[in-house]
Amino acid sequence: MNECIVPSQRFSEDNRWISQHKRMLAETKEKEPDVVFIGDVIICDLQQRPIWNDLFEPLHSLNFGILGDCTENVLYRIKDGILNNIKPKIVVLHVGTYNINDKPLNVAEGIVKIVEEIQSRLPNSNIIVLELLPRGQMPNPLREKNENVNEYIRQKLTGLPRVEIVHVEKTLIQADGSISHHDMPDYLTLSETGYRKIFEPIYELILQLFGENDIEKNIND
Amino acid sequence: MKMVLSQRQREELNKAVADYLRSNGYMTALEGLKKDADMPGEVEKKYGGLLEKKWTSVIRLQKKVMELETKLSEAEKEYIEGAPTRGKRLPTEWIPRPPEKYCLTGHRAPVTKVIFHPLYNLMVSASEDATIKVWDYETGDYERSLKGHTDSVQDIAFDSHGKLLVSCSADMNIKLWDFTQGYQCLKTMHGHDHNVSGVAFMPNGDFVISASRDKTIKMWEVATGYCVKTFSGHREWVRQVKVSPDGSLIASCSNDHTVRVWLTSTKECKAELRDHEHVVECIAWANDSCRIAINESVSTDNKKGTHEGPFLVSGSRDKTLKLWDVGSGICLFTLHGHDNWVRGVIFHPGGKYIISASDDKTLRVWDISNKRNTKTVEAHSHFCSSLDFHKTQPYVVTGSVDKTVKVWECR
Repeated sequence: MNECIVPSQRFSEDNRWISQHKRMLAETKEKEPDVVFIGDVIICDLQQRPIWNDLFEPLHSLNFGILGDCTENVLYRIKDGILNNIKPKIVVLHVGTYNINDKPLNVAEGIVKIVEEIQSRLPNSNIIVLELLPRGQMPNPLREKNENVNEYIRQKLTGLPRVEIVHVEKTLIQADGSISHHDMPDYLTLSETGYRKIFEPIYELILQLFGENDIEKNIND
Repeated sequence: MKMVLSQRQREELNKAVADYLRSNGYMTALEGLKKDADMPGEVEKKYGGLLEKKWTSVIRLQKKVMELETKLSEAEKEYIEGAPTRGKRLPTEWIPRPPEKYCLTGHRAPVTKVIFHPLYNLMVSASEDATIKVWDYETGDYERSLKGHTDSVQDIAFDSHGKLLVSCSADMNIKLWDFTQGYQCLKTMHGHDHNVSGVAFMPNGDFVISASRDKTIKMWEVATGYCVKTFSGHREWVRQVKVSPDGSLIASCSNDHTVRVWLTSTKECKAELRDHEHVVECIAWANDSCRIAINESVSTDNKKGTHEGPFLVSGSRDKTLKLWDVGSGICLFTLHGHDNWVRGVIFHPGGKYIISASDDKTLRVWDISNKRNTKTVEAHSHFCSSLDFHKTQPYVVTGSVDKTVKVWECR
């Protein structure tokens, strides 16, 4: 049984996870985002950084990142309606680095499942799948596992219509195989510099996709 | 900076490279590329010379950019040095200029709407924090908060004498507030099935008009609080309603990309104005003094236009403003310049300018007769959601998602 594809909530005595989920659900009733970011801490922390205000907020973005989320938690949130009341043109996804005890193939299937769930709700939207970021200062089993997950993702998602996979591994790893603390102070989450390296290209890609959609619309008109 | 190509771009680039290789006779490389990139068959004609074109156009564009920048700096110099001094400017040419006179803080969530009181030195702001706040725009003092709504306050409006304020909210209610004494909530009117996003008074003050996400517009009798009319026709969320100065027409704008004009008396939809390519966020009726400038704007070969109006301006998420002759139902011109959604628009009382507020954080002044953006003010640190121009005093007020309200003096 692959637990990565079974939607599930996260529990703690203070109920913080469900509180965040409910607040995000409420936001979807009021707001009309063009871009939605969903996933784990990489997504969640993004909105605390200057780059969010500089690049993404002006695009009318909503951030549905929750610290520590695994694929099954994001699946739960989607099944529970986080995308039901909105029509974003683009969904950006990063999740899976917290599925520490799951096999790479299972994690990849979790991510594919999430992509399918997004597509079924938003058939006309583009999905940008951010490959799992490397982790740990030096090469290590978890970093290797994320690379394996990414290989499976590429196999399963490349060529699908309206799905863009963004390769990121090479961006952060230096010649000697290490990751700089300037990019990842805790060797898991990103600094502003790290965010700029990973997310500026994503910003460009989003603008490109907006442009392509407009062209398609003009042709169809 | 690393650039990422979309799948489509990657395919196009491959094909353009293939065409380049073929046209230069690099056949081994071409076969190799076709094999590696999994690209069987012939490359379509439309890729002929594409790579070369793109290769050269970058340099050409760079040159063009440099030329334009030189031109711009010259124009700026002329504009700054050549403009008449403040004292010599006519009141009809007074426009808001930085820096702001006051930056007022107090709201705990984004400001959705700002308006001036027609007579007193007061202005009023509405916010997603569910409150309405009253301020003195001459001194910058905070006066009080009006509490009663339970969700984001979406719009507010005064009657012509400023005795009553009407507000509407995502809590689906419309409220009337007394501004003669005490600031109490006099009435709460319920009837819309969804978020109420726009309100306006009829000129005589007897009725209130409201627009809602439930796709309808409703008319309410102030004396009884009853809903007396419902205008149906929009296919999506109705964002704003504005009543023409004589009260005979109601204009509305919607997520369905249209502006509609309704006959107040019969509920008939007199005109459906389509030209925007995205949600229409805001509209404003032109005052009589605008007619001259508008007809100058459409003049050709020294022949002035003969449009009678009434005229309406609309602002949209497609980043443009459009000016409409409601009489003939046509769009007279489109103003390009904002880099993001246009959220608020109003005519200058002098009749020569349109002022707009946008999610690009700026306030822009547009010269109507030349159809040109004459002034851009970097107004807020976040989306600029609303603005108002005082009918008789030289002040503009803006509200923003950055939670502040700013007062701008016009000079």
